[in-house]
Order: sequence, then C-alpha cells, then structure tokens
Amino acid sequence: MRPSVNRWPARVDVLQSASGLLLVLFIWGHMFFESSILLGHDAMYLVAKAFEGQPLLSEPHPELVSIAGGTVLMLIALHALLALRKFPATWRQYRELHGHLGRMRHWDSTLWYVQVITGFFLFFLAAAHLSQMMLQPEDIGPYASADRIWSDHYWLLYAPLLLTVHLHAAIGVYRLAMKWGPFSAATTDRWRGRARLLMVSALAFFLCLGTASLVTYMRLGAEHAPYKGERYTPSWERE
Amino acid sequence: MRILHTDVLVIGGGLAGQRAAIGARRRGLEVTIISLVPAKRSHSAAAQGGMQASLGNCRGAQGDNEDLHFADTVRGSDWGADQQVVRMFAHTAPKAIRELAAWGVPWSRVERGEHSITVNGQKQTVSEADAAHGLITSRNFGGTAKWRACYVSDGTGHAMLYTMSNQAIAAGIPVHERMEAVALIHDGERCCGAIVRNLMSGELVAYLARATCIATGGFGRIYRVSTNAIINEGMGAAIALETGRAALGNMEAVQFHPTGIFPAGILVTEGCRGDGGLLLDGAGERFMPGYEPEKAELASRDVVSRRMEEHIAAGHAASSRFGEHLWLDIRLLGEAHINTQLREVQEICQYFLGIDPARELIPVRPAQHYSMGGVRTDPHCHSPTLRGLFAVGEAACWDMHGFNRLGGNSVAETVVAGMIAGEAIADFCASPEGALTVSTTLAEEFHRREANKLAAIAGNSGGESAVELTRLMQETMTANVGIFRHGDKLQQAVNTLRDLLQRSANVGLRSQARGPNPELVAAYRLPRMLKLALCVASGALAREESRGAHYRDDFPRRDDQKWLCRTLARWPGDDAETPQLDYEALDVMGMELPPGWRGYGARDFIEHPDTATRQAQLEQALAAAGELDRHARQQLLMPFLHLLPAGLQARNQRLGDAP
Amino acid sequence: MSEIPTRAVRELTIRVLRCNPAEPEQTPEWQDFRLEEAEAMTLFVALSLLREEQDASLSFDFVCRAGICGSCGMLINGRPGLACRTLTRDLPDTITLAPLPGFELIADLSVNTGKWMRGMSERLETWVHDAGLADHNLAQVEAPMDPALAREIYELERCIECGCCIAACGTAQMRENFVGAVGLNQVARFRLDPRDTREDADYYELVGDEDGVFGCMTLLGCEDLCPKDLPLAAQIAFLRRKMARA
Repeated sequence: MRPSVNRWPARVDVLQSASGLLLVLFIWGHMFFESSILLGHDAMYLVAKAFEGQPLLSEPHPELVSIAGGTVLMLIALHALLALRKFPATWRQYRELHGHLGRMRHWDSTLWYVQVITGFFLFFLAAAHLSQMMLQPEDIGPYASADRIWSDHYWLLYAPLLLTVHLHAAIGVYRLAMKWGPFSAATTDRWRGRARLLMVSALAFFLCLGTASLVTYMRLGAEHAPYKGERYTPSWERE
Repeated sequence: MRILHTDVLVIGGGLAGQRAAIGARRRGLEVTIISLVPAKRSHSAAAQGGMQASLGNCRGAQGDNEDLHFADTVRGSDWGADQQVVRMFAHTAPKAIRELAAWGVPWSRVERGEHSITVNGQKQTVSEADAAHGLITSRNFGGTAKWRACYVSDGTGHAMLYTMSNQAIAAGIPVHERMEAVALIHDGERCCGAIVRNLMSGELVAYLARATCIATGGFGRIYRVSTNAIINEGMGAAIALETGRAALGNMEAVQFHPTGIFPAGILVTEGCRGDGGLLLDGAGERFMPGYEPEKAELASRDVVSRRMEEHIAAGHAASSRFGEHLWLDIRLLGEAHINTQLREVQEICQYFLGIDPARELIPVRPAQHYSMGGVRTDPHCHSPTLRGLFAVGEAACWDMHGFNRLGGNSVAETVVAGMIAGEAIADFCASPEGALTVSTTLAEEFHRREANKLAAIAGNSGGESAVELTRLMQETMTANVGIFRHGDKLQQAVNTLRDLLQRSANVGLRSQARGPNPELVAAYRLPRMLKLALCVASGALAREESRGAHYRDDFPRRDDQKWLCRTLARWPGDDAETPQLDYEALDVMGMELPPGWRGYGARDFIEHPDTATRQAQLEQALAAAGELDRHARQQLLMPFLHLLPAGLQARNQRLGDAP
Repeated sequence: MSEIPTRAVRELTIRVLRCNPAEPEQTPEWQDFRLEEAEAMTLFVALSLLREEQDASLSFDFVCRAGICGSCGMLINGRPGLACRTLTRDLPDTITLAPLPGFELIADLSVNTGKWMRGMSERLETWVHDAGLADHNLAQVEAPMDPALAREIYELERCIECGCCIAACGTAQMRENFVGAVGLNQVARFRLDPRDTREDADYYELVGDEDGVFGCMTLLGCEDLCPKDLPLAAQIAFLRRKMARA
C-alpha cells in the first residue's frame, strides 16, 4: 500500500457495516434470551443468572451485565456516529433528498429513509433502555423484569423500541447483503430476492417473538403487581 | 467579438473527428474539437453490426486480405470509388482495428471449437481453430466475399466511440460541446477557422485555426424517413458548400438501408442478415433468392433495398395501419444468439415495437441511411480547392464508397480516414502553407455577416414557418429523390426545393427567447439543408444513368461511357438558386480493377471504351512480370503506398504469417 | 352503422417544468400542454409535436431517438428514463416531465450531462492506461483476449452515460461530488480490462473515499432505473469489497 493513501474511508465503511452486523446479531440473540420467559419462569431465571456469570463464577455478578450494556451502548454510539456521515448535513441536502424520495417512489431508497428515522429514534430509546440496565443490572429476572415492564410502565418504552429496532435490524441486514454480498450480474436478482425474503421473515419472526414475550411480561407484571419488589425464587430452591 | 486561437479546429466529435484530433495532437499541435452534442453522443455510436477489416481470423474469414476487401469495396461502389483511396483504406483498416483493440475496444473474439451458425436458413456447424482462439472475430455482411465485419456484439460503434472519446480525453483534447459552426472563415483560397454559435447561450465566437477539419457526418435529415440521428443535418458539408470554393462530391449518391424498422425508421443492423436472418414478404415467403440468386439477402444494400421496394410494388407487401412493409425474420437465430450478439436489436424491438424478435417478425422497410457524398477531398483528406480545409468520415467525399457503401465500411472509414487526416493535418501545419496569415478583420467580417443573418431571421416578419418548410423538403426528398428516381420527378423535386429555398428567406420566429432558442436554430439551418437537398436532387437529375444507389427508371443501365465520373457541386453565390455541377472523370487507365459486373445486381451496363484496353494492359503487365507475390503484383498494377503516412505503410501480419 | 369498436383517442396532458436560465426574470413553472395521442407515440414524437405546433421555444435534447446515445434522459412522472423510447401508451393521461436533477440546467428539459460526464472521465481517468500505447505496432497480430472476458467487459461498456443513475441516486442528489454508479461502473470496467495496467491501489486513489465507492449508500436506484440494465449493484458491491481490501 502506498504511504500517501488514506485508508480511513475504507476502514470507516467496514466499521460501520461490521458494527451494524454485530448489533443485529446482538439484538437477535437478545430476543431469544428475553423470550425465554415463554418457556417458563425458571428458564428465564437461568438465562438471567447465566449472564451474571453464575455458572462460571459460582455466584452472580450483576456488574457483568453493566459491562455488557456499556459495550453495546458504545457500539451503538460508534455505529450512529459512523452512520451520521451519510445523513443529510445541510438543509439543502435534506431538501434534495426529500424531494428525490418523494418523486422516485422507490422501494430501496425509501427503506434507507426508514433506517434513518428508526436509527434516530433508536438512539434515544436504546440509550434509555441500556442505561437503565447498566444502572440496575440486578433487576433482571422473571419478577423483576415483569414488575419493571408493568408496574414501572416500561412497556411504554419497550413497545416502540421493539418495532424500531427490528425494522432497523432487518432492513440493515438486507442492505448489508446488497452492499457487500458476493453476487454477480447473473445472480443479482436471486440474491436480492433472498435477501428481501430474509428481511421480511426476520422482521415478522422477531416482531412476533418480541410481542409475545412483551405481552407475557406485561401479564406477569400485572399479576405480580401486588407483590412488586419481590424477587423470583427458582423452583428447585423452593421447599 | 470573442476570438479563440487553436492550431487545429475539428468540427464534429464523432469517430472520424476525434481520431483526426488525436493524430494531430500526438504530433504536438493544439487541437480543439467543437461538437453539436457531447462527443460520446455522436451518431457514430449508432453503428451496430461491425467494422470491416480483413483480419482473417475466424473460419468464415479465412483467406481474407486487403485484395479481397479492395475488390468488394470497388464492386460495392459500382466502380464509382477512387481506387487508390480504396487501397489506402483496405490497407489501413486492420491497423485501425488493432489500434482500437489496444486502446480498449472489447472486440468480440474467436472461440475455439464447434459453433452452430445459420446460413441460407439452415443450421450448420463450423469449427474454430485453437490458434485463432482469442483473436478478433468477424461476422458476415452484405456484398463481401468473406466474414469481415469485426464487431462488439451489436454495439460496435458505441464501444468504438467510447474508447476513442476516452483516448481523446486522455490526450487532453478539449471538446467544446453544444457548439455549431455556422460559417467557415476563408479568403477564397485558404480556410482559417470558423464562426461558431454556442447552442446554449447563442453567442457567436470566431475560432481561428491553421487547419480546419470537417467531421460532421451525413445529412440524412433532409429526408422524411431516415435511420440518421436528429442532428444529422449536414451542416458541415453545407458550410463548406457556402464557401463557394469547396466542392461537394457525388451528392446524389444516397444510401437506403434495407432494414429500418417500420414506420419509425430506426436501424436494425445488417448483422441480422449477416448472422443468417431472412427477409420475408407479406405471405411469409422468402423472396430475395428469386431476385438475387448469388447473394440473396446479402447482396449490397442498394441492391437489396431496390429489390425490396420492387417486391412491395409488385403487391407482395405486408400491411399495417401505417402502410406497407416487409418482414425481417431473425427467429431462426435463436434466443441465445439474439441476447448476446444482437442485444441492441432486441432492445429496439422491445421498446419501440413491443415485440420479442426471438419469437416475432420485425416489420422493416428501406430508409435513408448514409450519404456517400460530401466535401470533396484528395487522398490526404484535404480539399483541393480550399487549402487548410480537411474533411473526414461521412461528411467527406474522400471517395472510397463511390455510389454505394458496403455495410461496416463506414465506421472503418471514420477511423482510417481519421488516422490519415491526423497526419496530413500535422504535415500541412508543419509546411510553409500551414502558417496562419489571416487578419482579424476577415474574422470580424465573417462574424458580422453571420450575426446579421441571425438578426435578420429574428426580425423577419415574413409568415413562413421553418417547421412547415422543413417538412415539405423532407416529403419531397423521400417521395421524389428516393430509391427509384425518374427525370420528371427529379425535375419536380428541383423546382419544389428551389421554391422552398426562396420561401425560406421569409421564415420568421414566434419566440424571441434568449438562450438555446430551438426555433432560431431550425430557421438558420433550413436554407443550408435546402442547398444540400438541391445538390442531391440536381445531381440526380443530371446523372442520366443508374449506378449503385442512384437508380433512374428512365436510365436503368450503368453508363461507364458517359458517367464514369464524380459529380462536383459548388454553390456559385449567395443569390444562386441551384448548384453549379461539374464532373471529374475517373481514369479507367489508372484502375487496378477496371469496371465490370459486380457479382450481384444488374448485369448489363454500357462499357467504357478504355475498359478493354486497360484490362489487356494489366494482363500484359502481369504476364511480363512473371511470378509475383500478391503485394508485388498489386504494386505493379496500381501503386498506392506512397500516399499513406510512413507509419501506416507496413504490411499487415495475419495468423499464420511469418512474424 | 359500424359495430366495430374503436378505441377512443386519448387526450394527453403533458406537464413540463419550464425554466430558461437565460431569461432570469422567468421563474421555473409547470406548463400544461394538451396533445392528442397517436399510435406508437413516443415522448420524442410527442415533444417534437409540441415544439412544432404549440411552443417553439420548448427545449429538450434528442439525438439518436433510438435509445442508444443517452441524450434524452429526463424525469418521467418523477422517475428518470430515456424519453425517446418511452411510449405514451404505457403512461397515464397526465405525464409530467422534468429535467434530470443533479446536472446543470440548460433550459426546460435540456441538461448538461456532457459536462458532468467529461468531468467524471477526467477524474476517474476512464481510459486504458498503458505506457506502450503510443508506439504500439499496428501491423502485428493483435493480442488475444479470452472471449468470455471480452463479453464481460462489453457488459459494462454498454453504459451510455445518460445520467439516469445519477438522477436516481439519493446520494448523488445530496452530494454533488459523488461519482455515482456511472463512475463506479467505469472503474469496474477498466479494472476488469487486462489491457489497463493500473492496480487496485491506483483505483483506490480514485474511488477509495466518500465521493467514491464508500459514499454509496446502496439505495439501488441506479440498479433499478438504468435504461441499459447494467449490473450496477453487483459491480458496486464487487468494487467495494476490492477497495476495502486494496
């Protein structure tokens, strides 16, 4: 490589895509873990404790959750910062883009705009969610979470977060596939069709999964409201 | 008045102009190209099927060489061509194609192994040699003995033009886009630039140059139905004509392409027939073999177009709501072939006709296609009567096409002539003659004259409309100066055109908008187009014979005795109503290939008294010389290499030749 | 009377965004023209008729009128396309026409794509770079090239620089220095060409930044609206991978 060449544009582009991909993998994993509640209280309890390091460190360390939360938050900040380069920077650019999208009625261009909007909201919604997790890492568990969601009205945060994060993630995956995918002229249509299918299926699947678990937590929270604050004891520790 | 100085002014940014510009630039001259449109949008891009050059790489081209290319071209021209120029051309064409190959044109290549081809409606298998694998391949075209049309799918002109333009950009040659030359600056002896109108702002600028080269293409738009682009209005030839000094050669020689799609007149390439496509009549029957047993669909264009019109006149046409036409059938070539080798044809059919040519027939009818005539030049592309004025490509009558051009020879000519002209221009500029001695007063005088003309149009209160007069001109040309011509109709055409020229002085404007005023453009171009149309019609009326594309019902035979000559049209003065016609004899005694039968088309012609003498002379010379290789033999019959620039004289190597 | 059903002739409303920068006192405005539709009418035919019969000052660019020269790109009902090969029968009764955005306006529907494209070519050096070109021996048999490779290069060479991909690109609309699909396709074309001696590091210097391949936001307007159906998405993705590693 020639010394004079600026490698940063390449690095930044890779970094933006890579951070996005990591975040998508995170959120999709997150969905499976949180929806463990659908398998019962014990399952969710085990998952929560596993993330506090109990199986390895013999006792729970909630600060691990804080660290994880902090890492994700930083990843989001990085991703957002990198994505910001692509946003309209001036009023003129915004006007051009807006006019363009309106005239074009073009699916993929509009999808990107959906990402801009969801990204904007996500920045606040996810930050709120993650800071709460970092500050109160021990409050994850079948009852603790359900109380937070219902009695503390966190469902008002989680419902819009669920929608935006999955729109953003599914569209992001599709766009990543089109951006870097190893398809050729002959295979573009097939590749693009499959990437679209992946986008739509992932969106539908995770929205269903997320809604089901959110509703479960809300129901649990409502039932548990009179005992708010009480922590769950797994079945094997009870008499 | 703004004056720009440059060594070389090239008017026209197509293949010919840009190649000439690159040549002159390489010799260290400052070159400026002006063009009506961005260079890459020039009409050269419309050449689809191929460029003729005798590379002899593929199976169908085996044994091809300059001699065959020369003979095909002379026969195609119906002996109207300058044979020395044809030799220069055939010798340089392989170099042109190899230069373009090095510059980046993605020529289609020979693929080793067996291939299925379509000949005479039948599938055949041919096998390509290992040694030829990867060399430039070629396809069959009309009027040729070998498969000689090298191609890039059916976007040959496009690929060539883009490569050429990119090389011109690499050479740092400025192209002043959307500029139109409206007059040549000259003192009656020497041309020294042009008055140029900016089509965006309307400004008139004087370009002063040591050499001026016209490369503006043809004038098809004087006809109603033409395959030509909208911009092909012949303005380069017209401003040369208006000098009164430069002559236009063989303007009556106008080619009609057999396969313009009906009714829009958009071209589908001769490659369709070259690759095995057939012409069918209204009954779905193939008819060309009945008329032309030797070459059928692949006789020269003039012959095929004439036979098609003859067949239509005999009541065998298909008809649609737009009128009568015939069919082109390429279904037999198969979808795979069409989608790779005839992509543009496929697209044109899809978008303009809404049909799939792999499944349906294409409606076609001959349409005006090419102007063999143009600014008369010597073999160095230089006007013999106005020094410092050069012309190349379709705008020129260099005269390698005579009265009928072979398909694929035009794109080849653009590049070859550009290569030769670039050197000739540089030689001229280096000679004492090439110094620019013009006074700015002369430029001012021409500037004032053009500005006054434009002001007169803008201030004209006469009620004539440029649109209406243009339409009448086009109708007249298509109806009376078309494929079949007759003395009465031609006389009528001349009268009508003369009348239109008078009326064109009263064209006024409805809009006085500044900037790119399209109405003003149409108004000032109209009289120039009418003058060209008058050259065509008068030349056709005067030429009482049939030769190549010029066919007279009333004089159906080729008459070498009276008409083996080139028409030269000059415009005697601003007030003249018709051109002055002179004739330049073609010297049979200097010909390598004396006049005879073309191998297709009409067999009877009136022989020139010298033909037999020359034939005997040639035979005698050959007998006396004894055993000779083909190069020495050719050199003996008609030397031409001395006419070529030194860099282009080397013998072309072919596959199998000793290196 | 005749029972043969006849198709009613449509009256089209052609709404054109008029603007002549040479007349600064005029502001851009939509102007409606009415025109009787004809069989197989293209926008080339329609606009020519309008200029001949209704408004002689209407500016637009047509050259080949056969869909091969790339002169007549314009926004047709909001989307870029080649006017010469767009049939009115495929469009609704009201057709809006506007100049291609992203290019310097000359007047009405005429824009200076030529200047933009020349700038792009100069910037990306879209020609075969080979030091030996000037002294190439033209008499020699040409260097062989793999037939499949020649076809592949032609695939990319088919670009007609009409500017539709620039008008269809949100990035190019926002950022005027973005080279767009037309430019990236050129780089891909020369990169593929063995006659060009440049290496990836050279190409990186041309398009390895936010105005080049890393500026592309994969909106795919170029891929979907290219009149020549060039494989632009695949080329840009390919180039991005190569440049990220260059």
